[in-house]
Amino acid sequence: MSDALEELLRHPALWRGGDAGAPETIPTGFCALDAELPGGGWPVATLIELLVPAAGIGEIRLLLPALRRLTAATAGPPRWIAWLAPPHLPYAPALADAGLDPAHMLVIRPRAGVDRLWAMEQALRSGACAVVLGWAGPAHDAALRRLKLAAEEGATPAFLLRSPAHRGDPSPAALRLALAARDSGLDVEILKSRGGGPARVERLPIH
Amino acid sequence: MFQERPAPIAPAEPSRRHALVAVPALREKLAPGVGELWLAAHFARLPLDALLPGSRQARAAAVTALEDPRRAVVACNERAVRQGIGVGMGLNAALALVPGLHVLERRPAAEAALLDRLGRWALQFTPVVSLEPPGAVLAEVRGSLDLFGGAMALVRRALAGLSASGLSASLALAPTPRAALWLARAGLAMTVTRVDMLPGIAARLPLACLQWPEDAVATLDGLGIASVADLLRLPRAGFATRFGPRLLEELDEGLGRRPAPRRRHVVPERFDERLELPAAAEAVAVLQPSLERLLARLEAFLRARASGIRALRVDLLHRGRPPTRLSLALARMARDGEALRELLDERLGRCRLAEPVVALRLRSGVLSPLQLRDAGLFERGRSADPEATARLLDLLRARLGHDAVFGVLPVPEHRPERAFRIAEPGNLAGLPVPWPATRPARPLWMLAEPQPLDGWAGALVTGPERIETGWWDGHDVRRDYYVALSRAGVRLWIFRERPPGQGWFLHGVFG
Repeated sequence: MSDALEELLRHPALWRGGDAGAPETIPTGFCALDAELPGGGWPVATLIELLVPAAGIGEIRLLLPALRRLTAATAGPPRWIAWLAPPHLPYAPALADAGLDPAHMLVIRPRAGVDRLWAMEQALRSGACAVVLGWAGPAHDAALRRLKLAAEEGATPAFLLRSPAHRGDPSPAALRLALAARDSGLDVEILKSRGGGPARVERLPIH
Repeated sequence: MFQERPAPIAPAEPSRRHALVAVPALREKLAPGVGELWLAAHFARLPLDALLPGSRQARAAAVTALEDPRRAVVACNERAVRQGIGVGMGLNAALALVPGLHVLERRPAAEAALLDRLGRWALQFTPVVSLEPPGAVLAEVRGSLDLFGGAMALVRRALAGLSASGLSASLALAPTPRAALWLARAGLAMTVTRVDMLPGIAARLPLACLQWPEDAVATLDGLGIASVADLLRLPRAGFATRFGPRLLEELDEGLGRRPAPRRRHVVPERFDERLELPAAAEAVAVLQPSLERLLARLEAFLRARASGIRALRVDLLHRGRPPTRLSLALARMARDGEALRELLDERLGRCRLAEPVVALRLRSGVLSPLQLRDAGLFERGRSADPEATARLLDLLRARLGHDAVFGVLPVPEHRPERAFRIAEPGNLAGLPVPWPATRPARPLWMLAEPQPLDGWAGALVTGPERIETGWWDGHDVRRDYYVALSRAGVRLWIFRERPPGQGWFLHGVFG
């Protein structure tokens, strides 16, 4: 299959009948990581959990290629990149430099912790978001399960960024990764993946 | 162009004279304004009255516009005038005169809302009302004179109504709407009933009451034209060439030489219904059935008018206590009672009833025509659905508050803390041309305030990037920025003030 067609078929706005079996994925933009992930990329309509030891080690740079791909031009009003309770304010000039259209940004800053999970669920279920990035803090297994259902219902990928302290907690996420900074790169440990086993990618060169 | 001044050219239009000569019998009909009598109410203090009701203007108060570099006074109250303050005075001069001056910031939206209310109020005198922004209302009252017992009685009644609301206005009556406006702006409380009297009276007016564009006034001033009388002596053709046809038309409209169609002020229709509860409700859940009934009526009301609303208010009425008010502002036009109920549920769910509720009142905002859209095959699919987008914003804001949901836009500005702004999500209005990304990389996370880094000892990766700007507005920045790596492996954006010595500050995180 030609590259152009491949690219087209991976476009998130394209709906294909008959491939309900394998979960749909999009490339992460990092070949070393794609090679380890079942389906060759991020699953697009489910809950993905990233365990991040300190905000800013490169977790957003890891997601940038996917964010670009998920918001690639579609007709009509923008589908949001929803930032739910981010640790700091997303900086518009840097997002624009990274090739993201500022008109896609939707920052949601709930005051109360319980509202975070509620807002994330609404954003996912609405189908109005291209992707939801959530910093939800502590959450029960049942709450995460609701998020996963909402992501599936709204066909929206949900990236949940949490502290490695939750590593031992049960999680319904379809994909769980633990990130660690190393030598200006990122070590990515795949803790759990649907249809794949544990794996490790070292010193992923994020820029 | 005006060298031949004072060439005695009477303001008569050749083409019009021609028309009249050709069809003399039409003269009466052609002369507009005959039979009409316009009441103009000019509210010179509208900018102030819109912000602070007259009853609360206990001390000298003045309004200035923020965007005006001099912050000149646009309106002030009687007390301020008595202490020497006047419209047009710079804020510094005004504060020097009256140090305790209550200074308010001009809000055009509040002025427009007040003018709208005044237009509605004027409808008690006549159905023909027209708003004349920024600060006047016009009403054609010829047909109402008998009803109110003559022009003087009508004016007295109008003035009484206005002063009861703490508003000050200057009222005048004239056969053309524009002439009535001129008189009212000039503060001449007079009634002119005949069109042929207009040129003589207009000649006595100051130029300012025409409210012409500043450049036109400056040009006229340069020509030594200080009054309408001087103006009327100018040659028509030269005037039109120099100032464009519009101002000449205005003059002709004012003097009744050409018709001046005005847009009627139409009071927008709203839904406003009240429902008594069968028994006083102590819990929110008990309100549901009644609220649903009201919403069903609202939906029927909107359907019958093919309209939707963007704002809704629910008053929970208590006995002998002020009502509890819930208001919804919607990002998209709504008509569906069910969808509105979902949003109201979010509000009601967090509402504590301090008092039993005895009745509900549901009031809509202004109605707007709804564009109907067929429910498509992929209505709930993956394409960008404007309904879903707006519904999500409404839902989030109903529970989290309006300000908890926003967008961010870049601003072309060198100072990092000013290179973005919080904006309405998805709103690209005012989005500048993309900032050329020739400068070094910026961090994806920005701290609300730079944080001092005590005893910073991490590794510097790149830098410095010198940012030295902003001296012109007093928020100058003189910093050297570096990309640094913390011990935890976080890529930081830090800076040191110039000249060095004040230590390091953390400003962003590369994420």
